[in-house]
Amino acid sequence: MFISKWKEALICLKAGRVTLPYPFVPRPTAEGFRGQPEVDGRRCIGCGECATVCPPRLITLVDDGDSRALKVDYSRCTYCARCADVCPEKAIRLGNNYELATSQKEDLTMTVNLKMANCSLCGKPFAPERLLRKTGEKLTGGEFGQEAPEWLSWCPECRKTKQAKALGGVEAKDHV
Amino acid sequence: MTREELTRKLTEHLGKALPAMSTAGNMLLVKIKAEDLPTLAGYVFNQLGARLITTVGTDRTPLTGNYEVSYLFSFDRADLFLSLKVEIDPANPVIESVTPVIPGADWAEREVRDLIGVVPKNHPDPRRLVLADDWPEELYPLRKDFPYDYKPPQATVAGPRMKKAPEQATVMTVGPFFPTLEEPAYFRLFVEGERIVGSDYRGFYSHRGIEKLADTVLDYNKITFLAERICGICGFVHSCCYCQAVEAAAEIEVPARAKYIRTIMLELERLHSHLLWLGLAGHIIGFDTVLMQSWRIREQLMWLTEQITGNRKTYGMNLVGGVRRDIPEKLQPKIKEVLAKVESESRQVVEAIAGDTTLLMRLQNVGYLSAADARSFCVVGPTARASGVDIDSRRDHPYAAYPDLQFTVPVYNEGDTWARTLVRLDELFVSIDLVRQALGRLPGGPIMAENTEVPPEREGLAVVEAPRGECCHYVLTGTDRPERWRVRASTYPQLQAAPSMFANQTVADAPIIIGSIDPCFSCTERMETVDVESGKLRVYTREELLKAGRAGCKGGDSRA
Repeated sequence: MFISKWKEALICLKAGRVTLPYPFVPRPTAEGFRGQPEVDGRRCIGCGECATVCPPRLITLVDDGDSRALKVDYSRCTYCARCADVCPEKAIRLGNNYELATSQKEDLTMTVNLKMANCSLCGKPFAPERLLRKTGEKLTGGEFGQEAPEWLSWCPECRKTKQAKALGGVEAKDHV
Repeated sequence: MTREELTRKLTEHLGKALPAMSTAGNMLLVKIKAEDLPTLAGYVFNQLGARLITTVGTDRTPLTGNYEVSYLFSFDRADLFLSLKVEIDPANPVIESVTPVIPGADWAEREVRDLIGVVPKNHPDPRRLVLADDWPEELYPLRKDFPYDYKPPQATVAGPRMKKAPEQATVMTVGPFFPTLEEPAYFRLFVEGERIVGSDYRGFYSHRGIEKLADTVLDYNKITFLAERICGICGFVHSCCYCQAVEAAAEIEVPARAKYIRTIMLELERLHSHLLWLGLAGHIIGFDTVLMQSWRIREQLMWLTEQITGNRKTYGMNLVGGVRRDIPEKLQPKIKEVLAKVESESRQVVEAIAGDTTLLMRLQNVGYLSAADARSFCVVGPTARASGVDIDSRRDHPYAAYPDLQFTVPVYNEGDTWARTLVRLDELFVSIDLVRQALGRLPGGPIMAENTEVPPEREGLAVVEAPRGECCHYVLTGTDRPERWRVRASTYPQLQAAPSMFANQTVADAPIIIGSIDPCFSCTERMETVDVESGKLRVYTREELLKAGRAGCKGGDSRA
């Protein structure tokens, strides 16, 4: 009994004080830490891949006229880093910030606004300009030649109409 | 026992051919008639010595027009699973209860009734289990025609459906918020003097319907992360078990390196979980030195996992088909160093407390669970192994890298709280050895399977030995997402055995008895910690609370 108590006391004495002076001294994070996702609005092309894979579905795409908004709600983030994994432009990385507590919920939202391109045929906005430019860059030099293919600037509806016409001359009236 | 033997025995016992049979991996799927269920289930459990894992209720009306209820059994020594599946006509959704034969089927059958609406006839305790008390009657959320985001109108609350206390007994409540584990759980102890003569439990306060979310909104890989958040302690177990269930269903071959990484993470998780439990157990009995020192030792593991995975908990390592992060060469010496330190420091703590008579007096001969009760409630993990039931999924249903590794399974026969402590303390050192073995043999190659396509209409069952016992995930695959995903956490069977452990104990020992099964209430209830939407929020004033509290006292919960 007494031997046990002595042993226990020794363990405590040997360990000494181990608590950290946090929050007065910031606690460093490990290399590869998954903290708050940082979105680089300058690189984002608005493809929406991150929104597709996000498990808590906190990244959403909202199209409104000639702009597309990528909205991020950090209050629901689980720091899984799936968005960073799939981003083709490496516009998202998980940073070191883990101190997200706030009394204002708005502090935990972030929006990237992207300008939409208009269809060169019907004039309707249909996809972010940057997405089209990036796609164009990827398509040139290969089987499409040195110029980006013409249909890239057509909206999906116009593409369908064009194709239907080319195939049988049928006028596609309803844009479904 | 082989699959063929089992088929022969079932046919012989039934006296006629089995209607339909198929296999999925090491699972034998047998479709039987509803009237044959009690006799076959009883035969499998009592004569053949199988253990009931859980039941799964599925609404298959869009496809077959019926509900299905599967009773999943495990033949632990033969690495064989058996699924007895009964089809039920929605016009008369009644099934003969097997709980009178298998006490461990109690909650599982009530859950099927709550969520699918298949009523177990002659169930000894037909009270509501999973759904909230103000959820309307006859509204079954896991039916396919129930929209996942539907919020039903609040029904009149009849109050929790309580078990009646015996005459002369006083009711003492522990909860609805468990004092030391900071989780919602509501025990009512029936006491005469200091002695507990009976008990009642109401839980599932944090049931959030994640299984519904999985078969309506999410996809296969998103569920991995949701599964991980079922538990804040053994989350990796859940994500790994879910992935293994899908991989089993889809017959995805996981690369060897991924299997080893999963094993390493599973054992690191067991280490931190057992050290966490040891601290909590000390805290519950007022021995905070143990809490401080074991959590101090544990902290090194948390820092280590942050370096390996990017986070101290919720590692986010798994995806269907493998793992997302490799364990780089440069981290391996670090892991070995931490293991050596944790080993020597744990050894010192274990040696010190093993001779501490105050501790022994609080734990020995307290909360006894007999081997027979452990078996009939289908108890798993350290709780079973402390009562002489020698089961461990790592050895009995080997998965990940465990087939390649050597390890012993600590078993004690005393069945008390001290035995449950000893099992966990022994397992600390087994786990350290397992991580070392896995690191030593870590094969090269990819960490993610090339083809991770999941075909529809396949069934998969996976078990993983969580720190608190066997955790089980069942998946019936669908298009893009599972048709049904069922989680059975390890605390689910243990809590059903709690009344047996309470019998004739003193009130003062109740918290450590509950603590000794290492309960994880939210796991059991499959809570989702991410989604914070709530239907209604009402703030009670102090006066209202006082009034309600006084009314409750007069209502008879307390005789004071």
